[in-house]
Amino acid sequence: MSETFTKSMARNIYLGGSVFFILLFLALSFDTLGALPKRDNRQNITPQVALGKKVWEENNCLGCHTLLGEGAYFAPELGNVYTRFGGSKEAIMGFIASRPVEGIPGRRSMPQFNLSNEQLEAVAEFLKYTSEINSANWPPNVQG
Amino acid sequence: MQFQSQAVAKPYFIAAIGLFIGQILFGLIIGTQYVIGDFLFPEIPFNVARMVHTNLLIVWLLFGFMGAAYYLVPEEAERELFSPKLAIALFWIFLVAGALTIVGYLAVPYATLAAVTGNDLLPTMGREFLEQPTITKMGIVVVALAFLFNIGMTIIAGRKTVINIVLLTGLTGLAVLFLFSFYNPINLVLDKMFWWWVVHLWVEGVWELIMGAILAFVLIRLTGVDREVIEKWLYVIIAMALITGIIGTGHHYYWIGTPEYWQWWGSIFSALEPIPFFMMTVFAFTMVNRRRKEHPNKAATLWALGTAVMAFLGAGVWGFLHTLAPVNFYTHGSQITAAHGHMAFYGAYVLVVITMISYAWPHLQHNAPASNGRAQLLEMWSFWLMTVSIVFITLFLTGAGILQVYLQRVSDTPLPFMVVQDKIALFYWLRLWTGVIFFVGLCLYVYSFFAKGKETLASS
Amino acid sequence: MDTPLHDDTGALPGDFAIWIFIFAELLVFGVFFLAYAFARANNVELFNESQLQLDRISGAANTLVLITSSYFVVRAVAAIRDDDSRRCVHWLAAAIGMGSVFLVIKMFEFADKFSAGISLSTNTFFMFYLSLTFFHFMHVILGMVILAAVLFKARSGGYSAASHIGVETGASYWHMVDLVWLILFPLVYVIH
Repeated sequence: MSETFTKSMARNIYLGGSVFFILLFLALSFDTLGALPKRDNRQNITPQVALGKKVWEENNCLGCHTLLGEGAYFAPELGNVYTRFGGSKEAIMGFIASRPVEGIPGRRSMPQFNLSNEQLEAVAEFLKYTSEINSANWPPNVQG
Repeated sequence: MQFQSQAVAKPYFIAAIGLFIGQILFGLIIGTQYVIGDFLFPEIPFNVARMVHTNLLIVWLLFGFMGAAYYLVPEEAERELFSPKLAIALFWIFLVAGALTIVGYLAVPYATLAAVTGNDLLPTMGREFLEQPTITKMGIVVVALAFLFNIGMTIIAGRKTVINIVLLTGLTGLAVLFLFSFYNPINLVLDKMFWWWVVHLWVEGVWELIMGAILAFVLIRLTGVDREVIEKWLYVIIAMALITGIIGTGHHYYWIGTPEYWQWWGSIFSALEPIPFFMMTVFAFTMVNRRRKEHPNKAATLWALGTAVMAFLGAGVWGFLHTLAPVNFYTHGSQITAAHGHMAFYGAYVLVVITMISYAWPHLQHNAPASNGRAQLLEMWSFWLMTVSIVFITLFLTGAGILQVYLQRVSDTPLPFMVVQDKIALFYWLRLWTGVIFFVGLCLYVYSFFAKGKETLASS
Repeated sequence: MDTPLHDDTGALPGDFAIWIFIFAELLVFGVFFLAYAFARANNVELFNESQLQLDRISGAANTLVLITSSYFVVRAVAAIRDDDSRRCVHWLAAAIGMGSVFLVIKMFEFADKFSAGISLSTNTFFMFYLSLTFFHFMHVILGMVILAAVLFKARSGGYSAASHIGVETGASYWHMVDLVWLILFPLVYVIH
């Protein structure tokens, strides 16, 4: 018997394999949704955190920073900045508020976003909430 | 050109190359900002320039995919496009919407853009690669649906080849998965989890179908190998891509708050992700070796083989390099990721679009199977300049990444991020100058379209 | 029994495409098993302790069920080589029936574990136990779907002694599913 290799069988494997692994992925995702409440710190999502996330997004913070390792690699990781700044929201707020408008000659500098006090507090609260997500001990150390 | 309506691909290809130039210019800007921190500050801060760099990439690749579809679908289906007018209208809508979005990024602060485009009503902005204002996203959906309708109607009425079906599946998947960009829960973990349904399932899922279909189409034309053989390998390769790639999403679920079993599932399946890329490389070379004719378009063959090799190196090898959870624990979100991203996007998607343009352009412009010898020579030079540049950009970023990971995360006395950045600046300088050479290669590529040759062309 | 169960050409039985799939699947399971061994080596006590909570009886029963089903599939191939579509259909139906028995036993086992509050996140051992068995469980379902497709084609006279690559293709896949279980069962349930 000579070896056969038909297009219709190749197609069946493509279709069957895809459906199989899509279903498997959905099953695992479903399990993940069930397991998340114990890990994602959702009990601490307050209206202030929600505002903080919005401020975070509407100033494109991810365009320079990483958050839990995702984003741009131009500026420090912020998933653990709350810890790195010694558990101080005031330190985070002070840092953001004090960025020079014209930058620092020759060096990278964060833009001055002119955030209101309410927005500053919300961002800090959002970063505190983020630092309490169970990220499987990532990052390896406080430097992010 | 076998069908008149294939000509609608032309403006798409021109726009793609135009935006590609913009992408590289902004790449050079952010490359400079990596070493001269206050370059163009505060007029064009890094985050804005990077957003333009990445968004232009996505938009020009989409232009390229659409152009490729408009060119190859009628030829495969053996009938004219359902509606060339719709295709041209969509071109202008997409181009104007894209241009307005880029102007918006550059003209006003991002927060202002969010405010004027009504991000309050349905907040979707400010997430990596999905920075477009919500109304732009909706525009993308409308354009994508109308495009799919146009392509779908052509295929339904015509010959249904494997290439057409796979391409249509890939494009449909692209449109459907993009819908997850409208889901932006406040819960950051959920946000990130489903963000990857767009990003990962695009580039390591449905885009691979599009890439496979385009490559198969070009290889059939260039090599004259039996369609039957190419099509069944296409099926097998994309089957492997999906088998490994769908669960491979797990390699993004290690450290974002998702359960730890993903470290195993993600590592196991993504460790196998290089296989389809390797198969694609072997497949492309085998088909070219078994060619039944000498196609005059040598440049297109070079781009096609380049796609297969560089996709394997960038997506396969550089992906595998940091995909296992114990390694990724240290490399996650470092310059290693950037290294992989650059070579994978260039190898798999930039090159496949250029392959298609290189094959189709002589038909579109000169009604001939190939450009003149001088133009082809220039094209090949631009291939080598850009490809060698991207290899070195990747190597320099990998060097930067290894040092960064060691100094910041592994050593006994971990240093702060910015201190480490200063220490590895040499690599960023090398990357920047290599980027300049890449840009020279790109200029050469553009110039090749206008190069006049001595020999006259036999019309096809 | 004058039909040879083996042909000596050395070619893989069935369609080559299924073999690409089978090799890929074996690779996935192989890497999974290696990962299990690696994880166990780092955590022998936890693995041994958790393993005691598994139901070895149902695991052993399922092993017998799958081996039997594989035998039925072999008979189905032999039948079609005798040009006997009817007998082929009967053996295939029997194999699918055994597959269903496997699924039912497995579901009782899963239900037992879930009601004990065991999930993928319980510990590394149960992560592997549930992942491997569930992944295999889905393969049994896929194998049954493939056998059913072969059965329907056989029933409408789609195969003959001269042309029955489809039957061999389905049989090859089913044997793979069986083979994986024959490694999975001792590895996860028994080896201490």
